[in-house]
Amino acid sequence: MSLAPAQFAQLNRLIDLQLEVFPEHRGFLTKRFADSDAAHLDFCEQLSGNVFKIAGSDIRRIVEDYRWLSDMVLEEELFFRREGRYRLSKFSDALEQVYANTPFMAKYMNGLLASQLWWRNHTEVLRYFRDGFLPGNRQGFTHLEVGPGHGLFLGLAAAAPNGASAEGWDISAASLENTRAALSAMGASAGIALKEVNIFTAPEGQFDSITFSEVLEHLEEPLAALKILRGLLKPGGRIFVNAPVNSPAPDHLYLFRTPEEVRDMVAAAGFEIVDTLYAPPSGAGLDKARRQELSISAAVIAKKSS
Amino acid sequence: MSTIDKVTDIMRDLFEDYSGPITPAIAAKDVPDWDSLAHVKLMVQVERAFGIRFEAREVSQPQNVGELVALIDQKLAAKG
Repeated sequence: MSLAPAQFAQLNRLIDLQLEVFPEHRGFLTKRFADSDAAHLDFCEQLSGNVFKIAGSDIRRIVEDYRWLSDMVLEEELFFRREGRYRLSKFSDALEQVYANTPFMAKYMNGLLASQLWWRNHTEVLRYFRDGFLPGNRQGFTHLEVGPGHGLFLGLAAAAPNGASAEGWDISAASLENTRAALSAMGASAGIALKEVNIFTAPEGQFDSITFSEVLEHLEEPLAALKILRGLLKPGGRIFVNAPVNSPAPDHLYLFRTPEEVRDMVAAAGFEIVDTLYAPPSGAGLDKARRQELSISAAVIAKKSS
Repeated sequence: MSTIDKVTDIMRDLFEDYSGPITPAIAAKDVPDWDSLAHVKLMVQVERAFGIRFEAREVSQPQNVGELVALIDQKLAAKG
């Protein structure tokens, strides 16, 4: 039986593929889509289309790697619940154990791509970026994403009618190549410049808009990075920061225990907070997610004062 | 307090939206919030409450409340 109404054909096709390789996930996905309104499902349908385009003939590998990711996260969850902290705290350890392990990274990235649909908080943040952040940018905005990963945020930014240009920066050439391939597959690569840049050596004051999504938690000193990003913005420019709370993963170093900690760090970097979205995981409201210390996505829209 | 009573307290706290019975036969499929992530939390809370530590393979072993209670009692007996 389909978990979404029949008109959302690509979404249902992807759900069916996922359940073929991960039948035990039916209960979770049923909860995930249970209270979705038409607008949310419509967004999921578009997102499913992009996942199919990015995956191409590898779609089965994407859903298999999502299953692998789910098992891996359970091991991290066990450590996190026992010890009350993330397993790693040093970037050098994450580099050695995760980033330098190419086969591991490929599976990890594939699994995370599918999670953009299956983890409701991930989907809600993407939607908030499209509908709550991009329209508030000035006409003809110049955009930068640091750590563009799967390219979904960058593709949305490049497609914004009020945007003039979009760039993606990363310190990893291999990661940029993945972003390039994903954007090309989505038909969104035109006019997007992807560059190997370290933010700590970049010139100041270039952009009207910056995305920094799911990067803070990978850093030893996230506040220092936010301060650098503030320098990269023009006066009046806006930033979209997204970081997970209570979300153990093999390469997560910095533990945010509440969504307010993310917001307060953005403010401490000198930004003026404009708006926030605290998105609870599938099947829980925000109050329950706080009480049970579940993973919450904290998205913050902030501004560099003129 | 018996093992199942202590487990019941932990489960009532963790699965706050579930008000059905908690008996040895109750399994994850009966409790809407009892998914794999919540199971890990349940097992860690059980570890704390009983002062025991599960082996990695034991964490996913219990298929229902009765099996969990049996596993706890076995760990407590081994602890002496």
